[in-house]
Amino acid sequence: MLIFSGSSNRSLADKIAKDFGKEVSLVEIFTFPDGEKRITLGERVVGETAVLVQSTNSPVDENYMELFLMADALKRSGAEFVKLIMPYMGYQRQDHIFRDGEGVSLEIMARILEEVGVDEVFAFDFHSIKIPEIFKIPTHNLSALSTFAEKIKAEFSGKEPILVSPDMGGIRRIKEISEMLNLPFTTIVKDRDLNTGSICDSKLNGEVSGRQALMVDDMMSTGETMVKAANLLLENGATSVFAFATHAILSGNAAQILQESKIEKVFVTDTVEIPEEKMFAKLEILSIAKIAAKALIS
Amino acid sequence: MAKTQLKNFDVQNFVLLTGTANEPLAKSIAKNLKTTVTNPVTIFADGEIRVRISPNLRRRHVFIIQPTCPPVNDSIMQLLLIIDAVKRASASEIIVVMPYFGYSRQDRKETARVPISSALVASLIENAGADRILTLDIHAEQEEGFIHNPWDNIYASYSLTPAIKRKKLENLVVVSPDKGGVLRATFYQRLLRAETLAIVYKERDLSANDNSEALAMVGDVKGKNVLLVDDIIGSAGTIVHAANFLKEKGAKRIFACVSHGLFSGDALKKIGSSAIEKIIITDSVNHREEVKKHPKIEIASIAPLLAEAIRRIEVGDSISSLIVS
Repeated sequence: MLIFSGSSNRSLADKIAKDFGKEVSLVEIFTFPDGEKRITLGERVVGETAVLVQSTNSPVDENYMELFLMADALKRSGAEFVKLIMPYMGYQRQDHIFRDGEGVSLEIMARILEEVGVDEVFAFDFHSIKIPEIFKIPTHNLSALSTFAEKIKAEFSGKEPILVSPDMGGIRRIKEISEMLNLPFTTIVKDRDLNTGSICDSKLNGEVSGRQALMVDDMMSTGETMVKAANLLLENGATSVFAFATHAILSGNAAQILQESKIEKVFVTDTVEIPEEKMFAKLEILSIAKIAAKALIS
Repeated sequence: MAKTQLKNFDVQNFVLLTGTANEPLAKSIAKNLKTTVTNPVTIFADGEIRVRISPNLRRRHVFIIQPTCPPVNDSIMQLLLIIDAVKRASASEIIVVMPYFGYSRQDRKETARVPISSALVASLIENAGADRILTLDIHAEQEEGFIHNPWDNIYASYSLTPAIKRKKLENLVVVSPDKGGVLRATFYQRLLRAETLAIVYKERDLSANDNSEALAMVGDVKGKNVLLVDDIIGSAGTIVHAANFLKEKGAKRIFACVSHGLFSGDALKKIGSSAIEKIIITDSVNHREEVKKHPKIEIASIAPLLAEAIRRIEVGDSISSLIVS
C-alpha cells in the first residue's frame, strides 16, 4: 500500500502514513504561472493499492481538479486499486435540488470520482447520511464524534453539561453523541433564506438554564450559525457555551467572528487543514488520523 | 467569412448560457446573434458555486459559452456544473463553446507516471453531458479524438489576419516559433499570400518547467518583415525568444498573431522589451486591464466568427466551409 497526498491536507496524510510506519509517497505537484497543475508520481505504482489523501475544501475547484488529475495519473500508471481518503468533501451541501432549475453538484462530483478511477471513498461526517447512496463505489461515512466524546469525557465530566444541535438537521448526530456519553441534548430550530443563505429566525427547543452548553455540528463555515446559537443559549440561561465541529471550513472572517464571540472554546478536527492566518486563541484541533488509518485496514 | 446571416434562424429555438470565465465575449456573441445570454452561476463564501437555470430549456438547444481560461480549475468545474444543470433542465442538445481549452498542452505522456490531463478534461466534459464541443485553435487537433461526440475546431486566423493585411507589409515571411506550429504557419502564409515560411527550432527544458530557448532556424528572414504565429502565449518565453533571435538574424519588422493570450507571470514585461512590434490576439480569454492597455497588444474579437459557427451549428450548415472558405 502506497500513500499519496494532494496539496490540501499534507499534514493529515503524514499522520496517517505514520500510523502505518510509512512515509507519504513522492509526487510532484507543479503549478504553472497560468494556474494549470502538472502531476508527476515519484514512485512505481503498478499493481499497487494506492491511498490518496485529499480534502476538497476551499479552494474547492482547484482541490477537486488536482484530485482528478492524481487519480488519472495513478490509474494510467497501473495502480490496481485507488482508495480515496477525502476527509471533507466539497459540494456536499448541494446534495439535492433545492429549487427548480438547479443542478446536483454533489452527484456530478461522485460520478467524476468513479470515472477517474477511484475505487473506494472514506469521508468524515457527511452533511447528510444519505450521501453514500449517491456513489456506486463503496463509500464510508466515518465519524469524528468518538473523538469529541473522548474530549468531552476528559474535560466536562461531572459538570453535567447539555449537548445542543445548532439546527434540526443535526438531530441524528446529537442523539448519537448523547448516547455515547449518556448526556441530555436539545436542538435549535433555524430558518434559512434560500436566496441569500443567511439565517432569518431561530428558537430553542428545550431547557439549558444553569448548564454548560456543548454545541455539536458537522461543519463550521462562516461561524454565523454557531455564534447565533451561542447567543440564544446564553439568553436562555446557559452558564457557558462550547462549540464542536468536525470540519473547520472557516470561510471569510469566521476565525475573527468566533474568537470575538461569547463561545468559550472551539473544538474542530484536522479533516480540513487550517492555514496559519485562520488560527485563533479559542481554537483547539483534534486529530482524526487514527480513525482514518483504522478504516483503511478494516 | 460571410457576414452572419440570420435568415432561417429562430432565436426561440436555442439558448445561450455563460459562466464567469469570459462574460464580455459571451455578451458580444449574443449581440452578434441578436439575442441575450444568461449567467446561472452563484458563488458562495467558501468558493463553492451553485448553478440555477432560470430560462426554460426543455427541448431547446443550449450553447454554453465558457472558455476554460485562468482561473482554469474554477472555469472547468463551473462548466461541468453548468452542463449538469442544463442536462437536468431537459435540454435537447448541449453544445459547449470553449474557444480556449485549458490543459490542452498536457495532451500526452511526456514522462512516465503523469496524467493525460487534456484527455481527462475532455472526457469529463463529455461525460457531464456535452453533445458537442466547439473550440478555437485547439493546441493539437488530434485532441478531438479524446471524446466520441462531435468536436468542431475553428481557426482564429480569419479574425487575426485583417489587422496584419492592413499594414501592407512587403516581403513577408511567416515564422513558426516551434516545430509543432508549422501547419498553422502554412495556413497563415496562404491566407496572407506571404512570400515564404521559416521555422525556429527550440529545445524545451522539461525539468525547468516553462522555460524555452530559441536555438536555430530553417529559412531566411534577413531584410524581411516577419509574422510569428502561435496558438498560446503563456509566460511569453517561446515567442519573445524567437522574436529576439529573428532580429539577430536580420529581420526588419516583427509582428505576431496568437490565438490565445494568457500573459501569465512577467509576460507583459518580456513582450514590452522584446523585438516584437505588435501582437494581435483574440478575446478568447477575458483579458486583464493591463493587457488591454499594453502598447504592443492589439485585440481582435472572435465573437463574429463564433457567432457564425453557432448559427451554422444551429441551422445545420457546414462548419468546415467556414474553415476553408
